[in-house]
Amino acid sequence: MMDDSVHSPTRREPPAPTLNVNFTLNQQPVSLDVAPNAVLLDVLREQLGLGGTKKGCDHGQCGACTVHVDGQAMNACLRLAAMCEGQHVTTVEGLSREGELHPVQQSFLACDAFQCGYCTPGQMMSATALLNDPRIGSDDAAVKEAMSGNICRCGAYKNILTAIQQARATLADDAASQAGEETP
Amino acid sequence: MNDLNQSTLDQPKVVGQRTPRIDGEFKLTGRAGYTGELSIEGMLYGYPVAATIAHGTLERLELDEALAMPGVVDIFHHANFPRLHRSPNSMGHGDQVSEVRLPFEGERIYYHGQYVALVVAESFAQARAAAQRVVARYRQETGAISSLLDGAHDSHSEGELLKDAGTRRGDPEAAFDGAAVKVDAVYHIAAESHLQMEMHATLAEWRDGGSRLVVHESSQGVFYQRNAMARIFDLAQENIEVISHYIGSGFGNKLFMWPHAVAAAGAARELGRPLKLVLPRPQDMTSGGNRPASRQRLRLGADRDGRLSAVIHDSTTETSLVDRYVDACGSATPSFYACDNLAVSQRILALNHGTPCPMRAPGEVSGIFALETAMDELAVALQMDPVELRLRNYAHKDPESGLPWSSKQLDKCLHSAAERFGWAQRDPGIGAMRDGDEIIGYGMAACTWFAGRQPCQARVELRADGTLFAACGTQDIGTGTYTIVAQTVAELTGVALADIEVKLGETSLPAGPLSGGSMATATTLPAVAAAVRDALGALKEVATGHDGVFAGCDADSLTVAEGTLSDGERSYRFAEVLEAMRLSSVNGQGSSAPGEEKKQYSFRSFGAHFVEVRVDPGISRVRVSRVVSSMDIGRAINPPTARNQVEGGIVMGIGMGLFEKLDYDPRDARLINANVADYIVPVHADIPEIDVELLDYPDFKFNEFGARGVGEIGLTGIAPAISNALYHATGKRYRDLPVTIEALLADHASA
Repeated sequence: MMDDSVHSPTRREPPAPTLNVNFTLNQQPVSLDVAPNAVLLDVLREQLGLGGTKKGCDHGQCGACTVHVDGQAMNACLRLAAMCEGQHVTTVEGLSREGELHPVQQSFLACDAFQCGYCTPGQMMSATALLNDPRIGSDDAAVKEAMSGNICRCGAYKNILTAIQQARATLADDAASQAGEETP
Repeated sequence: MNDLNQSTLDQPKVVGQRTPRIDGEFKLTGRAGYTGELSIEGMLYGYPVAATIAHGTLERLELDEALAMPGVVDIFHHANFPRLHRSPNSMGHGDQVSEVRLPFEGERIYYHGQYVALVVAESFAQARAAAQRVVARYRQETGAISSLLDGAHDSHSEGELLKDAGTRRGDPEAAFDGAAVKVDAVYHIAAESHLQMEMHATLAEWRDGGSRLVVHESSQGVFYQRNAMARIFDLAQENIEVISHYIGSGFGNKLFMWPHAVAAAGAARELGRPLKLVLPRPQDMTSGGNRPASRQRLRLGADRDGRLSAVIHDSTTETSLVDRYVDACGSATPSFYACDNLAVSQRILALNHGTPCPMRAPGEVSGIFALETAMDELAVALQMDPVELRLRNYAHKDPESGLPWSSKQLDKCLHSAAERFGWAQRDPGIGAMRDGDEIIGYGMAACTWFAGRQPCQARVELRADGTLFAACGTQDIGTGTYTIVAQTVAELTGVALADIEVKLGETSLPAGPLSGGSMATATTLPAVAAAVRDALGALKEVATGHDGVFAGCDADSLTVAEGTLSDGERSYRFAEVLEAMRLSSVNGQGSSAPGEEKKQYSFRSFGAHFVEVRVDPGISRVRVSRVVSSMDIGRAINPPTARNQVEGGIVMGIGMGLFEKLDYDPRDARLINANVADYIVPVHADIPEIDVELLDYPDFKFNEFGARGVGEIGLTGIAPAISNALYHATGKRYRDLPVTIEALLADHASA
């Protein structure tokens, strides 16, 4: 296995005309000149060197490019970068904190909830969004319905569902223990 | 102390144990670099312009507007692309390609999506914008053949009969004519798309003044691509490197190179800059491979006790006008059931599609749909339990070769899966089982996939920093090859997985196999094991040599455990042995290849699927609600990843059964649904309860690991189990895939 992130550090600046856009990316402020027609997905992958957000169709049909914009799961391929002014964007690279995997990442690893790994960032971004969304029920049927915009052609769906429900339990335990610490 | 050096892998501690993927964290944090997101300083972007007709001639390209667009560097097409050579396209010589024709060879258009130009620009957005401004004028011709299943090619004499693709034993026609009970039916399966999540992608860079080519490709076979590129660009193989560290899966369409890679490398050479080309999804679907449609006629003859007296399996599959791809539907049939009279034939029909290619369980999955549906029809005709029919025709040795099986546990699969499924509770009456508005149908099918091995080499280093390094040029397409290689090294050295580094997917590494045919595990691990043993031998030589920590000892007397060498009294860590001699590492080479075992045994995996469907006749809805499977695959090296393979195959089988169909316009052979929304694959909400059991019968006659491979078998047999369950629910025999809601509606309307 290899960490290939070393291959993609180059910041590529397109020629004028450009728009300046300022937003928060994975909790860091970003100020960027982008082409007016530049799509957020391409800016992440090609201009910012963040390859974790995947391109599977470029048409909002597969879910591989799912990111969070102000906490909402969105397809980065259906969004112009210039629209992100003032917003908070989170990609899979921002999911783990201080080197520790997010509970969703941990459960995806423990449950073998992926094979090729290409749809996986999108699956996890949708999963973390739905776990925070009070409108979506916690039962398996509701989770499967909510996740159905994320295609996994390897067919690891069963393990993905198990991983999401396991992460839900972990997050609930964490929340309970935190509440316990705050009210001794 | 358990001596790992003598281990025969009979009682492994790491092999066969649940092991989280060692590449998992890279994939889960976005740090795994797939080809499309790699970047090189000065890199250009390519975007293809693809033919919008399937049959005719490119008359004119109007490029002025596109060339004037911002950032556009050049546009390549048939009049200015460099003249390259074709690859000999030999499997045996390792230079097979998916499409022999080079990109931009001429003005003739053979299929929708054929590349007519490649726009090159400074950014992806610029290349795409300019490609949309290229105007191509065509002279479209009538007479395009859109599909084997277009209604105009129904005759079984259509297409070319392949003389060397058939097999025959006994007198099947006479046996069929004289049979007491007969099935004679025709089955159609629509063309399918691999729809792997990562589109085909190439990043090509010429180095050293254009004398050396480095290609990153999302590839299931880096060596085949290297060898083909050497022929095409007239270079020594040593001057080409192909790299594929992470692959967004393949399912067969990334086994052999496609013309896009030649277009990217050719353009990069002309422009003197690196170039990245990621196929847009529509071109990935039109021009990056498909499973061809098939028409199969199955004739089964049996006596009143259900014993098969005749099996005649005639298949026709599609190929393109530019290549001869054969999807051998009948390849499993001769070995499936005991029957003395058998004939298998294969035809191909050339039409206006991009060239088809292997797709997961190629040929056999289609053939098994026909055979296992026909077996269900025979069971109905005999009023016999379909499980019992399969047991009555059980092949205790391979009926085709006459050889004994190395290990065959299909009977255990059938019994175990039937029991877990609750088959005994099945009421065989049509539509007899109901739950509210839904009719419940139970269906089953047996399944199989051949077991093969290829030659393979591997290298292992024991390093003075305490780590181990293993390298092989095969790929991990998501099946878990990185992890099982590490497990093998850990097993034979006792070193922790965390201290083992594995490198795969480069032609600079020892030659490894294609990631295909479910052969990578059985091919790669014996070579890795040989390399580990060779490295341990080198370490012992060092240890017992002059000034070594075991100077004067007999090397053969030293034992290996937990990363140490021991003479029974003293033990030293590998690193200490190396440090004592001021060595950075010792190196081991290993190789393996199939041997005499193929003359003694037949090797196949087998399994059984039991499926529950629920049909709501009021709204003509069908869903698969439960799948219970048992698989006899030899030993699973890493049970969770092996089970994941079978579960993924089941999901793809649900797609084949109910959803997947490449729709070609019968008027002009254009692909109508070349996108991820209109080509329907299973999503989360379609997934039933899935219960997969992996029987644990290691096949040591096949290799010392006892593994036969698991990537493909799970897909085989699912579609017929679904169609058989639909028959049980509705009384209607569905012989055409996919079974769409339209087909169900039509039957209810006419009922």
